[in-house]
Amino acid sequence: MKKIKLKINGRTKQFVVGPDRVLLDLLRDDLHLTGAKQSCDRKGQCGACTVIVNNKATRSCLTKVADLEGAEVITVEGLGTPDNPHLIQEAYVLSGAVQCGYCTPGMIMATKALLDQNPDPDTEEIKKALARNLCRCTGYKKIIDAVKLAGRFLRGETSPDQIRPDPAKGVMHVSLPRPSAMIKACGTAEFAADIKIQGALEIAVVRSTEHHANIKSIDTSEAEKIPGVIGTMTAKDIKGTNRLKFIFNDQPLLCDTKVRCLGDPIAIVVAETLEQAKAGAAAVKVDYEPLPVMMTPAEAMADGAVRVHDEFPNLCYQQPQVNGDAKKAFAESAALVEAEFSTQLNHQAPLEPEACVAYLEGEGEDAVLVVIGRSIMIHTHMATLQEALGWENMRYEEPFSGGQFGIKAAITSEGIAGAAALHFKRPVRYIPSIHESMLLTSKRHPFTMKVKLGADKDGKLTAYGNDFIVENGAYMILGIVVILRALEMHSGPYYIPSIDSLARLVYTNNAAGGAARGAGPPQVTFALESAVDMLADKLGIDPLEFRLKNSLMPGQSVSTGAVIEQWPFPEICELIRPHYERAKKEAAAFKDGPIKRGVGIAAHSFGIAEPGDKAQVAVELDLDDGVTVYAAAADPGEGNDSMLTQITAHLLDLPVEKVRLVTRNTDQTTETGPAAGSRITYMVGGALQNALEQMKAAMKEAGDSTYEGMKKAGKPTRYMGTKNVPEGGLDPKTGQGPTFDSQVHNIQMAEVEVNTETGEVRVIKMTTAVDPGPVIHPQNLEGQLEGGMDQGVGYALREEYIHGKTKDWVTFKFPTMKTAFDIEVLTPRETPRARGTLGGTGIGEMTMVSTAPAVINAIKNACGARIFNLPATPEKVLAALAAGK
Amino acid sequence: MDESDDSKPLSGHPNRKVRVIAGREIYFDKEDFLKKAEDWTEEVAGILAAESGLEEINETQWRIIHFLRKFYFHYGRAPMNREIKAEVGLSFMELEALFPSGIRRGARRLAGLPNPKTCSG
Repeated sequence: MKKIKLKINGRTKQFVVGPDRVLLDLLRDDLHLTGAKQSCDRKGQCGACTVIVNNKATRSCLTKVADLEGAEVITVEGLGTPDNPHLIQEAYVLSGAVQCGYCTPGMIMATKALLDQNPDPDTEEIKKALARNLCRCTGYKKIIDAVKLAGRFLRGETSPDQIRPDPAKGVMHVSLPRPSAMIKACGTAEFAADIKIQGALEIAVVRSTEHHANIKSIDTSEAEKIPGVIGTMTAKDIKGTNRLKFIFNDQPLLCDTKVRCLGDPIAIVVAETLEQAKAGAAAVKVDYEPLPVMMTPAEAMADGAVRVHDEFPNLCYQQPQVNGDAKKAFAESAALVEAEFSTQLNHQAPLEPEACVAYLEGEGEDAVLVVIGRSIMIHTHMATLQEALGWENMRYEEPFSGGQFGIKAAITSEGIAGAAALHFKRPVRYIPSIHESMLLTSKRHPFTMKVKLGADKDGKLTAYGNDFIVENGAYMILGIVVILRALEMHSGPYYIPSIDSLARLVYTNNAAGGAARGAGPPQVTFALESAVDMLADKLGIDPLEFRLKNSLMPGQSVSTGAVIEQWPFPEICELIRPHYERAKKEAAAFKDGPIKRGVGIAAHSFGIAEPGDKAQVAVELDLDDGVTVYAAAADPGEGNDSMLTQITAHLLDLPVEKVRLVTRNTDQTTETGPAAGSRITYMVGGALQNALEQMKAAMKEAGDSTYEGMKKAGKPTRYMGTKNVPEGGLDPKTGQGPTFDSQVHNIQMAEVEVNTETGEVRVIKMTTAVDPGPVIHPQNLEGQLEGGMDQGVGYALREEYIHGKTKDWVTFKFPTMKTAFDIEVLTPRETPRARGTLGGTGIGEMTMVSTAPAVINAIKNACGARIFNLPATPEKVLAALAAGK
Repeated sequence: MDESDDSKPLSGHPNRKVRVIAGREIYFDKEDFLKKAEDWTEEVAGILAAESGLEEINETQWRIIHFLRKFYFHYGRAPMNREIKAEVGLSFMELEALFPSGIRRGARRLAGLPNPKTCSG
């Protein structure tokens, strides 16, 4: 042990520490300075823990306290507070650089260290200084903007008051600071691992080391002898169904008789410290009887393959989609392309690990089990946990959440924490590592797709077929939903008279697929938009003209046969046209030498609000004449707090300060569906609009909009708003039926450079034209588009999750400042939708759907190599170049 | 979706059934809960009750059903058992015994309260 004296945020303190104590743990555990975050398992990969030590940006997870005698440390809490923020914190908020907020404190501290040394850095200097700080939400563009704005503030060139939106301009189409942004920028927003619970025990989970095996026995006796271990539990200790029910009831909370996937949970160990819990988990002996392992759909569908689940065949679901006479249409087509495409298993990669805490409030049978976790549908997950755990008296709370991108449509750590809190009747924390978080979460499904696309001599599409197989992995979670979404959107923005497609879903022993930004459309759009370019090339038609020529028009139908009333797609093709012409001219100058430049486009029309969707929101007039909105509308970073606040302020003509949101616990909120499918603005915003219109009508009748006035007039002060989409579903035999209530359209253009000697691809710029309907918050719209395209480029070029081998952000190939590219979001077209929220739709997912095919089409345009299997690694590019020679 | 034959892959929507009740098409989820509380009528409740073996809904049962609906339309969620107990003054065991399949799968279903919406519709 060693006594160390150091100054932290201006106060000198003494600590006696061992040689391995790192600064991050000292700050978080001993001083409760939780602004510095942990994501990368203390490997120094993510920068979320960055603080300033002796004027230098320092990764506190790698910094030994024993080496800090006399050091001066500044954390984000030492920079400013929400009431008195530092100019850098103001710059981040006003630039829209704060989405989920998990990376933000680290980014801000790296920014301070940079600006202290270099008050006016250029883009490259910023990228270099922040190269070790990861962000999954923003695509880094607005972070770079924030650093530059902070520099201007600090140099006295402008001030926050000059940048802040003018209140006289109203609250619609205005980028007001997000309600939650400043507390995230100041490090005071509490994420699950930041919540302090007196006497909380730590959890470690025994996970399967086998891909597929029967469990013969579980011996926990040695674990229970380890000092500090409070106890262990297995499936037999769970009083409920022990099943995490989504579509099927096929996923055990703790495996009882069988494991189906590497990392399946088998036993829980709780202890006074995490180290003791881990030692306990390591001492649990599991005796397995190995079963045949099927890691591909082909293996799982082979004759004689054993079932992953006794109740279901491995080929567990199939859905055709047939419209018109595709066979005849293909036969009569003037041009055809046929090709096979595949996409990879991928991780959604939120920065925050799957942290969760749980405790009992009260005692005995009346005790309330409180679970604080990262769910995007707290009521649904609470209902699932009630059944799984056999405990009805529950409350689910959502803390701030460090990104999710679909991953939290499934229950992950909350079942474990809830089970342990109930069993041991003690508060617990389950803070898995990022590696364990990867093992226990669902992934983006891999697809293999056999595609056939035809056109007539005039370049009009005639028929399309996509025979695709989706690898479900070990559990259903949302597999069928992903298939249905893929089919419902698989003709993209085009009118294609004849369709003959078949989707199949196959259990394997790989990681389970689940929701992932877009969930189905990104995969099938990669295939369709690649085939569209191939067919345009065959017909000698420019890719943009070909897309424009084949745009669906109002009155025509999508692949489900549903007739569409609004389709403002041609207009965004025209919007991007001058940029496309500019890019083609510029690329033409890079055709000599080993570095080739290319331009690619791809488009998509993304469905918003499925048949049968419903939402409900309550609004209540407060004593001070402000309004509180009650709805379980999760906001893991998209900006739903802005949307709810600004719609309310706009419709009631209130200052935003008088709008309060209650969205994060099941006791007080309406059940209003998942923050998924890009539905929150359209559905929940629509229900809010409905509630506010009821309140306004009552105020009009009362002749008074105050609380007292409404009471005197005998009017209610609480109103429940709803939004409903008519029911209906696809026919099981034909895949025909209703489609989404609206669509958001986009077209993206990639400009890339391909090094034909190394196969490396560099994205220079992405440009996008969109029509989301009237925009509420332009900065949030841009932020979603920029972040989505960054994820899309990662999906196109680098990212691939290999279960058990992808263990951290380096092996995942997480996008960094180094891989960031120029992004231009063209001023959107804003066609009001017939049933949109104030005319608007949602944009969270479509942002990445077109990106991968745009990049792949650009690679082809640059060097002639077409990539059929994502990601387009240098090896695949070189192989495609060699095959083309 | 027909799950009766476990040798064949399934097709169709996983969480949606349509039935004609009292002359109207009404959508249910796979657990036979109404998809939308607005589709409920007392006649629908009576038919669902009869199907679950409850010949006639008595006064106490109606009181609970109407409380459940009033709570749902005010708060936007189903009440917890503790909230039902506080309202009707019956113990948990008495409440569970009042309806075939208990409170959640019995009373809530007959009251037309939908399951929380999921990604599967």
